[in-house]
Amino acid sequence: MTTIYNHSRASNWLAALPIVAISLFVGVPVINIFISSIRLDSLSLLRTTAIRDIVWFTTWQALASTMFALLIAMPVAFCMANFKFTTQRIITSLISMPFILPSIVVGVAFLQILPRNSRRTAFALILAHVYFNFGFAVRLISTRWLQIHPHLDDAARTLGASPQKVFLTLTLPLLRKATTNAALVVFTLCFTSYGVVRILGGPSRSTIETEIYFRAMQMGDVSGAMLLSALQVVIIVMLFYASTKIKRNTVEQTSRPTISRRKPLRTKIQKIVATIIISSATVFALAPVFAIALKSVITNSRFTIAAWREVFRNPDILQSLSKTILYALVAMTLATLLGLFCACAIVYGNERLRIISALTTMPLVISAVSIGLGLIITFDQRPFDWRGAQFMLPLAHALVALPLTMRIISPVLQTIPDSIRQASSVLGASSWQTWRNIDLKIIRRAIISAAAISATVSIGEFGASSFLTRRGAETLPIMISRLLSRPGDSLQSQAFVLATLLVLFSTVIIFVIDSLDSSSNATTENSHA
Amino acid sequence: MQPPKILMLEITGVSVVYESSPLFSNLSLTINTHEIVALTGASGSGKTTLLRCIAGLEPVTAGTIHLDSRDITNQRAHLRNIGMVFQDNQLFPHLTVGQNIAYSLKIRRVAKKLTDQKVREVLSLVGLSHLIDRSVTNLSGGEAKRIAVARALVAEPQVLLLDEPMTGLDTDLHSRLLHDLSKLLRARGTTVLHVTHDHAEASAIADRVLDLRQLIS
Repeated sequence: MTTIYNHSRASNWLAALPIVAISLFVGVPVINIFISSIRLDSLSLLRTTAIRDIVWFTTWQALASTMFALLIAMPVAFCMANFKFTTQRIITSLISMPFILPSIVVGVAFLQILPRNSRRTAFALILAHVYFNFGFAVRLISTRWLQIHPHLDDAARTLGASPQKVFLTLTLPLLRKATTNAALVVFTLCFTSYGVVRILGGPSRSTIETEIYFRAMQMGDVSGAMLLSALQVVIIVMLFYASTKIKRNTVEQTSRPTISRRKPLRTKIQKIVATIIISSATVFALAPVFAIALKSVITNSRFTIAAWREVFRNPDILQSLSKTILYALVAMTLATLLGLFCACAIVYGNERLRIISALTTMPLVISAVSIGLGLIITFDQRPFDWRGAQFMLPLAHALVALPLTMRIISPVLQTIPDSIRQASSVLGASSWQTWRNIDLKIIRRAIISAAAISATVSIGEFGASSFLTRRGAETLPIMISRLLSRPGDSLQSQAFVLATLLVLFSTVIIFVIDSLDSSSNATTENSHA
Repeated sequence: MQPPKILMLEITGVSVVYESSPLFSNLSLTINTHEIVALTGASGSGKTTLLRCIAGLEPVTAGTIHLDSRDITNQRAHLRNIGMVFQDNQLFPHLTVGQNIAYSLKIRRVAKKLTDQKVREVLSLVGLSHLIDRSVTNLSGGEAKRIAVARALVAEPQVLLLDEPMTGLDTDLHSRLLHDLSKLLRARGTTVLHVTHDHAEASAIADRVLDLRQLIS
């Protein structure tokens, strides 16, 4: 993209900070993991039946979770993209909420709602993964579905295609890229899932991710953990590479058609089908969080708010709460600034700066547990022994959130036509004044969304925190895990209170993001008009 | 001696209410076999909606539509055998030119050999045989329009509906395409309802030119 900032040296400088941060705190640790895993002569570990079983279980549960998440998402996305109804916005937010819930909360919720004999089974794990990811798949697929011009369907119908044929021959092929993207992200998240597996898998159901943690932190087999981490990275990178091949030949239409696909529910059948699909999805999204909230006010089978009182009196929990908020604020600031710098460097910079886009994919491909492990094995010697440093945890959180913040800001920045900036320049504004008064004003909602999502990531982050958190400075997810592992109904209820607080926070965030999104859509539509 | 006129499309007393206000009421129109009728009218008068009702893409509030003496008022669009060329073509972006044209034949499970033959025939009629394997996203405005017409014609519809097909084309291309289209439709004896706001275009292509307001009683 050519912009008036293209010749500015500032765009090159903007790229420097994120490149250094990602290279130093993700690149170097990952390279260290690879070098160490080869050097440590532990490749024989991969030949053991136990590890093979873990790799197999990790793969098939991720495949099954992805398949079921997409199967559930498809009819919901169909309703969201094709029908107009009054509660659409609120239902979109509610269905999206599970995706931003902390993984440990999802694990805890399913521990509550499932019957005792299904709690620590593959079924529980897959169900929780489906719950966690189906809203994300709905969002991705319905957004693309909305971009398919409704007259394309009409053209197919006048050519003799029945509604089923229209779906199979037109809609599905046009949704292929979105579906592949959704499948890839959901599979990656299920493959590298940590919190859900820690809670619902128990000792008998390990995935590569939990095995990395157990080997490094409980068995003291750091070399084995590093080897597994390297294996996981290789599998995910191969998967991303394969998906680019699949997506290469797909057609992508990026603008919304001038006519909306969404039509009011007309026939009785439409009303019945849409009501069943939407209400089932909403109940599925809400039931686990209600179960947590309910459990937080029930101790020893009695209704009481004692656990809530206890939480706000317990100095350890209060300290954990304040640390979590502090880390979230630091991580949010770092991730948002780095994401903004990356987006600016990509949009304004020259072709060479596109490398940032690939670099920021690294924290997506490399799991949070691997990032945590990489950081503690890399920065473990003076003068760089930062294992106990307070800044490591928010820094790791920021790096985990960076791919999201960059991907929220960058598309909005790309939609700004350079003619607006040129008009500003012609009116006498300097480059800085143009950026401040044009670009920044247009992307400010995206910046707020990015900040909100990075705060949510930090508050709920469990994988990297398991490695980097220190006693006396535990984050809320670590505190929940600790409370749940102790006996006593009162302590368990306190864990549910904390989980409820995380749910409330996530709910507020998703509604804030959606309201910003809808108002920015309204602004765009007005400017087009 | 001229062949006897056979009624192909008969619209009787059709009304359409859109968001509780009537778009048009009690509209009647007849079109004979092989006839090309042009329908003019101001923007927003309901020309496109009428075409969509005939094609089965919108329901009518009142009245009946008969095609070749068959009541199709409540029949679903894909069963009507009425073709339509949309204002913005609506070529399927994931298919090549050849695959777009073959779409209706594939839906009807026509044998591959016959499909290929028909696709080549119709492409040759619109003068674009060399584009058979081209992606439709790389076509010029005129080429896309010809492909849209070819795609509709290959299905051999009983009536072809043209919704402002010349919109967005430059003057040169407009007159050339209009001439070619008129020649092609007459050669094939296609029954056509052509909607446009341009009276000159209507007169150039049609046997009969009607104003939408004349059809409302």
